[in-house]
Amino acid sequence: MPVTAEDLDRAIRAAFPVSHLEIEDQSSGCGSSYAILLVSEVFAGKNTLARHRLINQALKQEISQLHAFSQKSYTPTQYAEYLAKSG
Amino acid sequence: MSVIPSDKPSHQRDSIEMSTPENLVNVSSTPQFQELLSKDLKRISLIYFFAPWAAPCEQMDQVVEGLAKAYPKLLTLRVEAEEQADISESFDINSVPACLVIQGHALLGRIEGGDATQLTKTIEKYLGSKSQSATSQPPVPPPSSETEEQLQARMHNIMKQSKVVLFMKGEPDTPRCGFSRTAVALLREKNVAFSHFDILSDQTVRQGLKKLNDWPTYPQFIVNGEFVGGLDVVKEMKESGEFDDVFFV
Repeated sequence: MPVTAEDLDRAIRAAFPVSHLEIEDQSSGCGSSYAILLVSEVFAGKNTLARHRLINQALKQEISQLHAFSQKSYTPTQYAEYLAKSG
Repeated sequence: MSVIPSDKPSHQRDSIEMSTPENLVNVSSTPQFQELLSKDLKRISLIYFFAPWAAPCEQMDQVVEGLAKAYPKLLTLRVEAEEQADISESFDINSVPACLVIQGHALLGRIEGGDATQLTKTIEKYLGSKSQSATSQPPVPPPSSETEEQLQARMHNIMKQSKVVLFMKGEPDTPRCGFSRTAVALLREKNVAFSHFDILSDQTVRQGLKKLNDWPTYPQFIVNGEFVGGLDVVKEMKESGEFDDVFFV
């Protein structure tokens, strides 16, 4: 059974405090490739690799069933800055 | 007049093994040594003095082989120090492992002991970014029976073969996957000198490294012998400004 966006949503919320979450199916509906954007205070003080490892660990099961998975992570402050810049 | 020393049995005249890179030569005589070095005085050479019984040479063996593979232009000469006493004496070699980096008659560097980092730094200093295609050389098959420990050691050596090592699918000039292609382009764009390892050529390393670095995919970027991230991570580092701190330390 392919991984659905709901599966990912559930797994992420169970693992992290979520300020903002976006999940995009990049496989045109096939459920084999996702890109997520996660804003959470849990990322404070963590460098890029640490953040990726954190998410990879929490979503280990789901990711192992995917063909591709990409992630962008921000703390709430960083996300606000990011929005302001691209505003 | 004979060019080949007649006291040397024929099997010792040409000691290039088929499974080793073309530029890596086991020196079997002083005339051969001199001939190799004088062929091209502009070529940079690495002369590696070793002894088969010396434990620190085991790691150096791997590092030297890794460098020879990463830099096809580097003439890499393996000299068994005790057997080639004349050569050792002429360079005042008293202990092994010892490495000399030479260009023509100029000594560019001398590394005593098993200082792999120092050796790699020296090579990089003179040969810089060498992401050259090695498609003309057959991949060296991994040892057929390898313990977990030996594999770990081998992977660590490959990770230390140069300051920055990219584990990828294919070769830098002929990548076999879009992500690997992007990884190479990224490093070149940032002018990072790096060597690579083609994980398609070695299934044990391919699986073993994923476990070792606890990272499920390739490409994998290694800096100073440590895993720093996959493509996504490194791309983000570029945007966040972390990149320079990690790659140009």
